[in-house]
This record gives sequence, structure tokens and C-alpha cells, in this order.
Amino acid sequence: MYQYIARRLLLTVPVIFGVAILVFSIIRLIPGDPARAIAGVQASPEFIQQVRARYRLDEPLPVQFGIFLGDLARGELGRSTFSRRPVATEIGERFPRTFLLAMTALVIATIVGVSAGIVSATRRNSMFDNVSMLFALVGVAAPVFWMALMLQLLFAVNMRILPATGIGTWRHLVLPSITLGMASAGLMARITRSSMLEVLRQDFITTARAKGLNERFVIYKHALKNALIPVVTVMGLQFGILLGGAVLTETVFAWPGIGRLLVDSILRRDYPVVQGTVMLMAFLFVIINLVVDITYAFLDPRIHYQGEAGE
Amino acid sequence: METNEIPGTGTQSRGYEEAEIPAVDLEDDVSTGTVAPRRRRGVSEWHQVGKHLLRNRGAVIGLLIIGIFVIGAVFAPVLTTHNPIQNNLTMRLQSPSTTHWLGTDALGRDLYSRMLYGSRISLNIGLISVVIGVAVGVPIGAISGFYGGKLDIFTQRIIDIMIAFPGILLAIIVVTVLGVGVQNVMIATGIASVPIYARLVRGSVLAAKEQSYVEAARAAGLGDASIVFRHILPNCLAPIIVQSTFQIATSILWAAGLGFLGLGAQAPMPEWGAILSDGRAYIRTAHHLTTYPGLAILFMVLGFNLLGDGLRDALDPRSRGN
Amino acid sequence: MRTTMHMHGRLATLALVLVFVFVGMAAFAGGAQEAAVERDTITIAIGAEPEALDPVNMTSAPAATVGEHAIQRLIYMEEDGSLTPMLATEWESSADGTEWTFQIRQGVQFHDGEPLNAEAVKANLDRFVDPEVGAAYAFLLGSVEEIEAVSEYELRLHLAEPFAPILSHLSHSFIGIISPASFADLGPDDTTDAAVGTGPYELVEWSRGDSITMVRNEDYWGPAPEIPHLVFRFIPEDSARMVALETGEADAVMRVPPQDADRLDADPEIDVVYQTSVRTIYIGFNSQSEPFDDPLVRKAFNYAVDKDAIVDAILDGNAFVADAPVVPAVFGHTSVGPYEYDPDRARELLAEAGYPDGLSATLHHPTGRYLLDSTIAEAVQGMLTEVGLDITLETREWGAYLDFTGQPVDQAEYQMFMLGWGTVTLDSDYGLYALLHTRQWNPAGNNRGFYSNERVDDILDRARVETDPSVREELYAEAIELIWDDAPWLYLHNEGQINAQRADVGGLIHHPLENVSAWEAFFIDD
Repeated sequence: MYQYIARRLLLTVPVIFGVAILVFSIIRLIPGDPARAIAGVQASPEFIQQVRARYRLDEPLPVQFGIFLGDLARGELGRSTFSRRPVATEIGERFPRTFLLAMTALVIATIVGVSAGIVSATRRNSMFDNVSMLFALVGVAAPVFWMALMLQLLFAVNMRILPATGIGTWRHLVLPSITLGMASAGLMARITRSSMLEVLRQDFITTARAKGLNERFVIYKHALKNALIPVVTVMGLQFGILLGGAVLTETVFAWPGIGRLLVDSILRRDYPVVQGTVMLMAFLFVIINLVVDITYAFLDPRIHYQGEAGE
Repeated sequence: METNEIPGTGTQSRGYEEAEIPAVDLEDDVSTGTVAPRRRRGVSEWHQVGKHLLRNRGAVIGLLIIGIFVIGAVFAPVLTTHNPIQNNLTMRLQSPSTTHWLGTDALGRDLYSRMLYGSRISLNIGLISVVIGVAVGVPIGAISGFYGGKLDIFTQRIIDIMIAFPGILLAIIVVTVLGVGVQNVMIATGIASVPIYARLVRGSVLAAKEQSYVEAARAAGLGDASIVFRHILPNCLAPIIVQSTFQIATSILWAAGLGFLGLGAQAPMPEWGAILSDGRAYIRTAHHLTTYPGLAILFMVLGFNLLGDGLRDALDPRSRGN
Repeated sequence: MRTTMHMHGRLATLALVLVFVFVGMAAFAGGAQEAAVERDTITIAIGAEPEALDPVNMTSAPAATVGEHAIQRLIYMEEDGSLTPMLATEWESSADGTEWTFQIRQGVQFHDGEPLNAEAVKANLDRFVDPEVGAAYAFLLGSVEEIEAVSEYELRLHLAEPFAPILSHLSHSFIGIISPASFADLGPDDTTDAAVGTGPYELVEWSRGDSITMVRNEDYWGPAPEIPHLVFRFIPEDSARMVALETGEADAVMRVPPQDADRLDADPEIDVVYQTSVRTIYIGFNSQSEPFDDPLVRKAFNYAVDKDAIVDAILDGNAFVADAPVVPAVFGHTSVGPYEYDPDRARELLAEAGYPDGLSATLHHPTGRYLLDSTIAEAVQGMLTEVGLDITLETREWGAYLDFTGQPVDQAEYQMFMLGWGTVTLDSDYGLYALLHTRQWNPAGNNRGFYSNERVDDILDRARVETDPSVREELYAEAIELIWDDAPWLYLHNEGQINAQRADVGGLIHHPLENVSAWEAFFIDD
């Protein structure tokens, strides 16, 4: 088991390195001179040249890549070309906010989704089942920014009970996290439901029931534990997706997280910040995947740990 | 979500690579899982699948929704009441009425007509991006899974790298590189779905490779290509079809998201995401410009998701037996 | 079994109810809190975040708006464009216009307690023009050869040659004076966002991506502000920014979308403020390539577009049809336009130019950069289609757009491009020279359409060094008439600014330079 974890951890190194290469090259494919984007419309050509020199954008690409890797090896992410502040500081300020948002969204999604899924499964084809599955489908299908605008209009403008934008108190967190968590809640409700249904059909449940065990006991002790395995997987992965998917939600609710920072930085051609943010997201994603796999392995004893040569 | 991730139902023992499969098809917001590859399907079996599908209430509703949009898209020139790109500044921002069924936009264009033409664009985006994803992802997954070894390890790391970018971000970056426009949106969402297909097919190929009929084919002296194309891939068809249905929905949502960020279609093209994005400036004064495109996207995505659910059940002999 | 099923139902319902209760409580608890807060803070919501509060790294309007509350410059430009003393109390130039002497205000302290004097100003200006530091707007002082601290409170600028707009350049928000102690230890690449200036407010906190908080400067040299705390919040999404004003989260907002102005105005708790801006929006023609090398074609396009319809309908009347290449508030402006909407005249001119059946062209435009830019591009396309022209629209994301329209003449692939330009110094030199002088062709400057007229070049050169304002005015009038007649642009409109504030706020300055200033603001009690 530990060997398996160690090997998986080791495997993340080439992935992160690959991400670094990919990020570095892909943003340099974006048309538009970064020096010009930094300098603005009214800048003089001399100034644009200075900017190029300052951020070493005038060096050949391989040299730039070398500098980037060298910095990276020293844990140095460079400086934002927009604010001239260290990228680590920029990200450090914003990441906790996105983390908070994604985490709250995940908690809401899990509570709502899993409980709705369990009830739907145990009361299959009931009114509750039909209605909650309809909500689940709509939650998944609605464009997130559209939902955001609608919620903002309803709760902030018409009812005036929640702030429309910004951060600060936990009230600010309510609308963005519900918006962000909606699709995940729908997905989790559906997965919990089908997983529960599947497990409830299994032999061991039938046996347990045949033994005359209390139905509630059967459901919670036997069925739920097994049914939650895919749910846990989904939870982990959803967290990664929520972190990345916060871009649109953050825009509508003026939530100053890394999703918005990334899009702004792409538009500003702020290479160091784009590099740093994408690297961080990729790294988190890889780690979350790893954690999910390990959790999965713990939960499902039938999984072997041969690794690559598994088959 | 009657799928092979659920314990106790899989037919093969699971290596950890398979345990990673959910990481792939849950990449997007929509899909759930896939069926395990089984034996080849004959004509009568496809017939069975069809029958099963039509007995599924959700799938029928999904098909109905999609059908309405497809009819709208195909017959848009006949069904529209106005030219979708004809400005009329004196008729701007009109509420829905008998002349303008869904009202008009900021340039006085008829929203209903624009939405109809827009369904063409959205359906195109969904379909073509899936074609791109399949065309690139499936061969990668098949080759990687079939040959294994160093090639497989290498490919898997590339896929890992691509998956490490959340899909919408990958799409944002690709569109920024390629520039604004519907074609580039298709390419971007297509590329973003490549790793999903590559993983999915690889898993299926790995499983199918061990089956007796493949060994039989090999013993009969068939070449690699014909084993892959005639024996293995047909067996992976079911998960690909199911995934593609969900992926169409996801691509439509991604495209709308790109449109919202101003990275979508070129004006005056009536792409739904773009209509919605332009309309949000008038959300307080002419809300029909946000409400209708929002609902249209919602319903189209819903339609494909319902169909995908139904297809998954129908293509899974296990649930068909129930 | 039925009973247990029932239980699960209840459990789930309970969970759902809990969520709603949670949301509801949040709402009401918060509502109560808000009422309890005393009004000692004014909150202004703006659309974008400053990139920096260090003068050498400031490039945007939001940086100017926020920055000028903490950091001041030598000369202040009033709303009417007149120049008044700020940190310099008086100034005079030598007879030949190459030496400018400034008296620095005495008894002024920076926020860190350091005194303001000529040495401090010199240190700031030296840093501003230092190529190693690379201030974006160093070109504003491009004519300055040497900066000399003559005595404790006397500063002298030596110019290479007379440069008429020097005073308005010095009034630019980015030439701010901060405490030398705050940058003494910085390397040339380093900047400080501490904003240790002499302004009426002091920086307290900059919560990146969210807000900047300031507190009243108790030692301010001028009349102290009435409101002790000042917060700038950054809300990029227009609709969200308006919501913040309506709910009272913000006391004032900048950049109200025109289509929302009437609705907000109808709210008795909200006042909408209309102000001119210095930005003109135009569609440049590539004058060096067919068919736009022919002035007849360029004029035909000008006649074919109904600018009034754009202003009245799309911009809801909140803009002004351009009557010159610079806005009326700019020194040297002369009204020469507009080209009246006349589609028949447009067709005639096209026929005369050899295009009786119209022609095809591509119009490039940004999206989301200027007020309703892509909608306006679509409207222009529609109008040009009416006179038989076949116009394709093409947009690019801003960074790519600037690059695309910044190519040298032999590589330029564009025919028509929409852009805006703010003449922030309120001097025609800044608006005309950079955009229309032959020496300013891409990539040297911002003449992206490669307009070239020797007479115009000559006049603009002379007006730069002429020291007599009345002569300069005549020169610019002549240049503007020539430029208008050559039609290097499709002249569109001058953007208006629309801001809004809560009705109980008074004294806010809504400046034509797209600033909102709070140092004279107060709350109206009823």
C-alpha cells in the first residue's frame, strides 16, 4: 500500500513537469504581444521595448523556458507583469478564497445531494424521488453563470436578503456557493440514488433482510457504506472541478479568487501569473486524484495495487 | 448510474487503472458512468436496445426535446418570422408580442428567429466537438490500451497532464490561442474532451483484450489493425455512444460559458451563449434576452442528458434484464 | 418497513429545511447588522482594480481614481480643464519656454511624517523618468532634460526645447509625489504599493481583488474630508455593480450601463450623474491600402453611418456625436462636424470613387472594451449594408486586438478597426499628435491607420513648441479642419460618463477624466 502511494506520488513529478512545459508553451502561442498588453494603448515603442527587456521577453524561447524552470526549481514563481508583485503573493491571497468557496459548495452539494439520493433510492418512484431527480437534472443542465444571475436577481435585488457581490462575511458566501454547488449536488444525488439502488439489489442485502434485520439498520449499516464508495470518488473529483469551475461564478459574484485571477491574467498576458495559477490548479488536481484513488483503495478491498502493470 | 464502478457488478477483476476511470468520465459536469464492454451486438440486439430506450420515460422526453430543437434547426429558414441578423433600431428591446414572439434585442432583431438559427449553431458545436474528441481520443486510447508498454505509459502521462487542466480552463486557453469564433469554440471543446475519450477507450480496450474472442482472433492470425477495428472497438461502442451523448451536453455548456467570457461566437452570429452574454446587459430592463436563451440551453442540455441516461440503461444488458 | 422509509424521508426533508433556514437566517441576521452600522464610511464601487498605487507602475483609470485620494501631484486639473495649484503653489517659465520654475507648497507632510520639499519632488520625478525604472507614462516628461532642486522649496525643470503642454502633463494623475523614504531602498524593478503620499486619505488595506480601504489623513494640509473612512470596491460585472448600489452595499458606482440609467434614475434613493468624458470612439481606416486610400470612400462611409441613431438608440442618448477628432473639453478643439447621415450621398461618393456596386471590407472591433462596442459594430455593419456595402465583422480578444492593429504598414492586414482614445491631458497635442502624425505610424506610435498629411504634420509640430496659447488654438483649429476633411476615421461618438450615487450622498466630484473623488463628500441627514 505505501509502495503504491509512493509510486503514485513519484508519478506526479513528470506530470507536473509536463504541465509546466505545456503551460509555458501554450500561453506563448496566444497571439498578442505581452509587452504591448502590459504597456497599454498609449505606450511609446521605447517603453514597450523596456518592458520586453524587464520581463526578459526579448530572450529566445528556450532561454525563457530555462529561466522559468530555474525559478521553479528554487520555488520562485516570478513576478506579475501587471502588479509587479510576486506571483506567490498574488496567488497566496486569492487561493484561500477560492478554496473556501469550493469547499462550502462541496459541503452543501454533499449534504443536499447525498440525502436526496438516499431518500430517492429508498422511496423509488415516489413524488419525492421524481421531484428531486428533476431538480438534479436541472441543476446539472443549467448554465452556471445564468443561474448565478437569476439567484442574484431574486435574493439580492428583489428580496434584498443577501449581498449580491463581494466577500467578508459568511452571508457573502451563500449565493456563490449555492450556485457553484448546484451542479455537483445534482450529480451526487443521481449517483447516490443509483448506487443505493444497485446495492439494495445485492445478495448480501437480501440476506440481511432475510435474517430479519431492521430495515433502517440494513440501509445504514450495510447498504449505505457500500453505496457511498462511488460517491466518495465523485466528491473528491468534484472538488477539483469546483476549484477550476469557479471562474464563471467568481465573475458574476465579484468573488476575488484564483479562477477570476487566471482569466484576467490570460487576458492581460500576465504570463507568470498564468503559469503559477495553472501549475497550482494542476498540482491540486493531481493530488486530489491521488487521494481519491487511495481512499477508493481503502474502501474497496478488491482493488489491487500492482500499479502500471496492473493488467 | 447503473455502472461498472459499482461494486459487485463488474465482470472482471479491477486493476487500479480501472479505478481511475471515474476520474475520466466525471471530468465534466454531466456524465456519470459507462457500461462495461461486453460481447458484440447483433442487429437484433440493437433492436432490443431501441425498444428498451423507447420504454424509458426519461429517454423519450430527452429525444422529444432534442427532436424539437433539431426540427427547429433544420427548418429554421421556414419557421423564422424575421431575418435573424436584420437590425431595426426603431424596434429595439421590445417585449414578446404577436409580431416578435420572444421580443427583440438591443438592435431590434427578432429573438425567436435568432434563437432558431442559434439552435443550429449549438447543435453543431455539440456534434462537431464530439466528433473531434472521438476522432482524436479514441485512436489514442485504443493504441495505448492495445499495445501497452512504454507507449502506454507515455500516453497515459500525456493524458494525465491534459486532465490536470480542468476542462473549461483548457477550452478557455485554446480559444484564446485560436481566436474568437464558432469553429474555434468547437475545436477548443473538442480538444478538452480528448483525454476523456482516450481514458475511456483505453479502459475498455484493456478489458476487451483479455476476452477469449480476441485471443481466438489472434490465434486465427488476424493482424493488429483488424483485431482492433473489427473485434475490440465495436465492443467499446456502447460506452463511447453514452459518453458522447453526455459530451454533447457538456460542450454546449462550455461553449455558452466561453460566450459569457466574450470568447465565443463572432457577432452578429446568433449563438445562444453570445445572445445570453449580450443580453445580460439588459437583464433588468429586457429580461427576455437572458431568460429565453438560458432556458433553451438548459433544455437542450437536459435533453441530451436524459437521452444519455436512457442509452446507458438500454445498452447495459444487466439493467435491461431487470 | 414503511415507517423506516418514512423516517428517511423526514431526515432528508429536515436536511433540506435546515439548508433553507441557514440561508434565511443568514439573510436576516445580516440585515440587522447592516442597520446597526454607523455611517462613517463611504463606499465607491468601480469596475476594475488598480494595477498598482506606485506612480511608476500606474497605467489605468482605476489606479488614477483610487490613487489621487492618497497621492497628489504638483498641479491639479479642475473639472473645467483649468490648472490650479496642488503641491506646487505657483510656477513660471523662462522667456524662451525651456525653463519652468515651481514653488513647492510649504508645511506639507507625507503620511509617514516626512516633509515635502523640492528634493522630495525631484527624487520622485527622477525616478519617474529613470529608464531603469521604466514608468509607463515617463513619456509625459519626455521633453524634460534635467530636474533641479534650486532651494528647499523651489524646483526647476530644464527642457530640451519648448513644450507647450508641459503643465497639463504635470497635472496627470500618474505623476504623483510619494514619500522618498518609501522608495529609497527599492531597486529599479521594485515598486511600492504603500501609497505614502500627501493626500486627504491614507491607505489602510488593499484586499487584492476585492477592495481598497482608506482612512482620513488627520494632518492633511488642506480642508480635511468629512467622512472618516473610504472604501473602493472592485466589481467588474456591470449588473452586479448596479445591484450593489441599489442594495446600499455601495454609496456610489462608476460606469453605469446606459440602458440602466433611466431605471436607476426612477429610484428615489438614487441619483444618476451624467458627465462628459475625454474619450472619443472612432473606426480607423487603413489609409495606405485599397479601397480606403481614397478619401472619397472614407467620406462615403462617414455619410453612410447614422451616428445619431447609435447615440440615441444604442447608447440611450448618453453620448455625443463626434464633431472633431478630439472631445470639446480639450484645448484646441474646434467643432467641424459631424458628417450628416446621408445614405444617398454615400452611394454617390462610392460611385464617384469607382465602386457603384459597393465593396467588401472587414471591420475589426474589440468586445467589452468600450461601452457596447460590439453592439455598435453590429449597428454600423447594418447601416453600411444599407448602402450596398458588404461588411464582415471580426473581433479579437483585447491583447490580440492591440497586436493585430499594431502592425507596421507593410504587414498591416486590417482595413477598418474600432478604437477609443482618451485625451487625458485635455490638450490637443495628446489627442492629435500620437494618433495622426506621420511619425507616429505603427509601430512608432498610435497612428494605426497610417494617415499622412504633410500640412497636418507641420501644423502639429509647430503647435507643440509654440508657447502662445491663442496661436496654438488657431493652429489646432486648422489641423482639425484638414483632418476632418481627409476623413482618416469614421468619426463615431464621444462617450459620456454615467455614474450614480445614493441620494443621501453629497459632495462627490465626478470628474471628466473618469475619476470620482470623495474628499469633499458628506452624508445628507434627513
